[in-house]
Amino acid sequence: MPDASDIVFRATGLTKVYRSGALEVHALRGIDFQARKGEFIVILGPSGSGKSTFLNIVGGLDRASGGQVWFEEHQLTALDEGQLTQYRRDHVGFVFQFYNLVPSLTAHENVQLVTEIARHPMRADEALALVGLQDRANHFPAQLSGGEQQRVAIARAIAKNPEVLLCDEPTGALDSATGIKVLEALTQVNRAVGATTLVITHNAAIRDIADRVIRFADGRIVEETVNTVKKQPSEVAW
Amino acid sequence: MVISPLRRKVLRDLRRLWAQVLAIALVLAAGVATLILGNGAYASLSETRAHYYDENRFADVFADVTRAPRALLGEVAEIEGVLDAEARIVKLGLLDLPGMVEPGSVLFVSLPETGGLNRLYLRQGRLPDPLAAREIVVSDGFAAAHRLGPGDLLPVLMNGQRRDLTITGVALSPEFIYALGPGQMMPDPRRFGVVWAPRSALEAAYDLDGAFSNLVLKLAPGANPDRVIEALDRLTERYGGVGATGRADQISHAFLDAELQALWAMVRVLPPIFLLVAAMLVNMTLSRLITLEREQIGLLKAIGYSSRAVAQHYVEFVLLIAVVGIGIGFAAGAWLGSELAQIYARFFTFPYLVFTRDPQLYGLAAVITLAAAVAGALYAVRSVVKLPPAVAMSPPSPVVYRKRGAWVRRLLNLRQTGVMVARHLMRWPFRTASSTLGVAMAVAILVASLWPFGSIDRMIDVTFFRSERHDAQIVFGTPEPLRAVFAAQDMPGVMVAEPFRQVAATISHRGREKTLAITGRPAEPRLSRVLDAGLRPMPMPQAGLILSEALAKTLQVRPGDQVTVALQEGRRSTVTLRVSALSVGYMGLGAAMEIGALNRLMGEGALISGVNLMIDDARAAEFYAAARTTPKTELIGVTSLMLSRFRATLAENITVMVTVYVVLAGIIAIGVVYNFSRIALSEQGRELASLRVLGFTNREVSGVLFGELATVVLLAQPLGWLIGYGISAAMAASFSSDLYRVPFVVERDVFAIASLVVCAAALVSAWAIRGRINNLDMIEVLKTRE
Repeated sequence: MPDASDIVFRATGLTKVYRSGALEVHALRGIDFQARKGEFIVILGPSGSGKSTFLNIVGGLDRASGGQVWFEEHQLTALDEGQLTQYRRDHVGFVFQFYNLVPSLTAHENVQLVTEIARHPMRADEALALVGLQDRANHFPAQLSGGEQQRVAIARAIAKNPEVLLCDEPTGALDSATGIKVLEALTQVNRAVGATTLVITHNAAIRDIADRVIRFADGRIVEETVNTVKKQPSEVAW
Repeated sequence: MVISPLRRKVLRDLRRLWAQVLAIALVLAAGVATLILGNGAYASLSETRAHYYDENRFADVFADVTRAPRALLGEVAEIEGVLDAEARIVKLGLLDLPGMVEPGSVLFVSLPETGGLNRLYLRQGRLPDPLAAREIVVSDGFAAAHRLGPGDLLPVLMNGQRRDLTITGVALSPEFIYALGPGQMMPDPRRFGVVWAPRSALEAAYDLDGAFSNLVLKLAPGANPDRVIEALDRLTERYGGVGATGRADQISHAFLDAELQALWAMVRVLPPIFLLVAAMLVNMTLSRLITLEREQIGLLKAIGYSSRAVAQHYVEFVLLIAVVGIGIGFAAGAWLGSELAQIYARFFTFPYLVFTRDPQLYGLAAVITLAAAVAGALYAVRSVVKLPPAVAMSPPSPVVYRKRGAWVRRLLNLRQTGVMVARHLMRWPFRTASSTLGVAMAVAILVASLWPFGSIDRMIDVTFFRSERHDAQIVFGTPEPLRAVFAAQDMPGVMVAEPFRQVAATISHRGREKTLAITGRPAEPRLSRVLDAGLRPMPMPQAGLILSEALAKTLQVRPGDQVTVALQEGRRSTVTLRVSALSVGYMGLGAAMEIGALNRLMGEGALISGVNLMIDDARAAEFYAAARTTPKTELIGVTSLMLSRFRATLAENITVMVTVYVVLAGIIAIGVVYNFSRIALSEQGRELASLRVLGFTNREVSGVLFGELATVVLLAQPLGWLIGYGISAAMAASFSSDLYRVPFVVERDVFAIASLVVCAAALVSAWAIRGRINNLDMIEVLKTRE
């Protein structure tokens, strides 16, 4: 049993219902979940299984319909819009499938965008060095490859020294060689920063690099595996 | 009827983008409305006037004489180019209405002969019996102000004699469309009226048996008025003629001309501004729409729609916006036109004045507006035609930004969000520049509409509080000996009395000449003063002449130059005088000298034309009564009454005018700012939503967009002030005439108010867009590729 102070996330009976007219879609049907500090968790599952909804609620982007989510001592399900914004700002780093970089800012500036509003940020150069992009710091997103853009997004996510790093399909838009580089960057920053990392993916091959693997189906967690031996991203067969 | 799918798309686009469409349509509507208003008022006023002149045979040349025998009329009619000539008696009288304390005057005019010139338009009752001694017709405005009608009695003082005249009718005349009493600044129908009486009655009252005091001439088509005037002046010289004038110098005609000129200026300035801004907005909005619909355009082309059909689809979208604008503009133009016609009815007396309903005018406004909208669309639509379908269906190449202006960033100590603002603005320099220009135009319109108030204040301050400081003025029918000053001094309530002498003269210099009254004042005048450029009172020169700057400019003389002065009264001597200095003044043209020196030139002894007075307010009523009954009094001017009338009339119209201009400027500012921000939001919605995900607050994210708006609005302020200042300067120059000069003063508060109004309009737009920023969908933006 892990030490209670070691728990970063705790979700109990989490549900989410989307209503559109008379139609009700149950995206989450009662999720119980815990994540420890520094843990690297891969979330698998088919489209529509609820994994993105789960990540969005945990990340403070969306609200649950029922149940509770705790981040450390904060009950996320009780926070208002402004407090959720503050939560994202102070504690969460996000990485998305389509990078969501600001096209009018260079790589370095995209990272600075976050360090300017963070409480205990690292230096922007440092964050870029962690993902191996110190040489491309002055390029605009349009001048970078997809993999490079995603690594800038990772640098931007970790530059604030977040407690949690949430990645939704970070390799979804990338080919395998590039995807491996991105995963390497993720595992490396997970070690270096010690942030609890949740990675959503379609790609079952990625499971081997995680501490723990969770599988979603039909709004529920249907399987949970703990890896005793973690592989390096470069050892993963794609 | 089957509506084609593309047509249906146009209608849906219009509904979806209704707010932007409306914002553009309103700017177009402002252009249409000002086109209709300006052109329509111009046409209505000038055509009505022309028709009225024609119907009532308005004269072409006017001349006053002291007293000329009727036999002279035959000689006048013989002058080459004269079609018709009529001898009249025109004399001032005083009102003596019970219950009216303040002095008022009437202008007696002998009734036009049957088939004669300046015929009356009878509105009520009948014309007087030519043989009846006491029957009269009064002017319409005057009758209305005093609620007089046929059958009422009008007590007046004619040549010092009190008479009760019987009103038989109420009439209008083309000669008094703008009925300005002597010495007045604005028509005041309560204190000034025109009274038409049978010639015989006026002959008797003013001792003019077999004589006349005024001539009006109708010229043959193509006749040269200058030659006729020259010949006429030679004939009337012996009879106290002070120089004939053409229509251009006839007061009523000249004021109408000034109004027409102002309308013409408005037509040339306002509609082009609105149409230019609207074209810019169309271009901006359509370009963005086409960028967003790039894939659809590719698809349409791929499935076989021609480039032309797709281009036509977007042109139709713009044409429909224009149609909405034209519809609103027609309604607004017609409504403003009828309001303006009502304002005109307050100043100008026409038998009828209807705001034009000429379909040609409306058609022209519509065509011009459609053209402006299509011109704005062309550039954007060209890209539709050029886009190959295969390229259109693949995602657009990413927008390339450049690192520039690092110094700006260091200087302003910009954060990254600030850098975003700056780079986005610089990435589309044309759009940024045209939006800035658009907002600047809103500022400029306000500056150009607000500055005259400061100028009018300056005119009033200089004219009434520094220069003409008397409370009242008595003008005698004929010059009186100097001792009349003492008589005036003894009147009840008079505290200070100061004489003046006025002599008509033609001043010439190197072929340029001007006929006006030279005013003689005491050496150190206290009540009626002449001011130098620093607004300090100037002593009257013992020898030499002080000319007003406007007159000096007309004659092209400088201090120290010699001018030829041909006196038009008395012995009519011609002398050469030195211009000793120039004075500042805004009303009319002025020439001044010391009263003694002027009397020496005349050689008729120490005479005065009237007295300027300072009156004890508490005893004003007593003074008015006494002044009225002083036999020699022809006219009593009261500064405070004239000024309050002036201010009241102005106040009535200020509200209407300022409201209209504020609305117009607001429409531009809102239209530009709203469209600009919608486009900026559409382009950056994804980035802004991403910022929200990263933990930026709503306020911080709005700040990025509002930062762009604020930059555009701020940059527009100085530019708008500059453009507005330029337009105002041109207006001031075009308003100035011999009647008055408009000092060009733009107070600082004009700039401040203009900026405040425009910033308020920008805030309204920002407020309208805020909801859209707050509702940015964070989750949606993460799932989609741009």
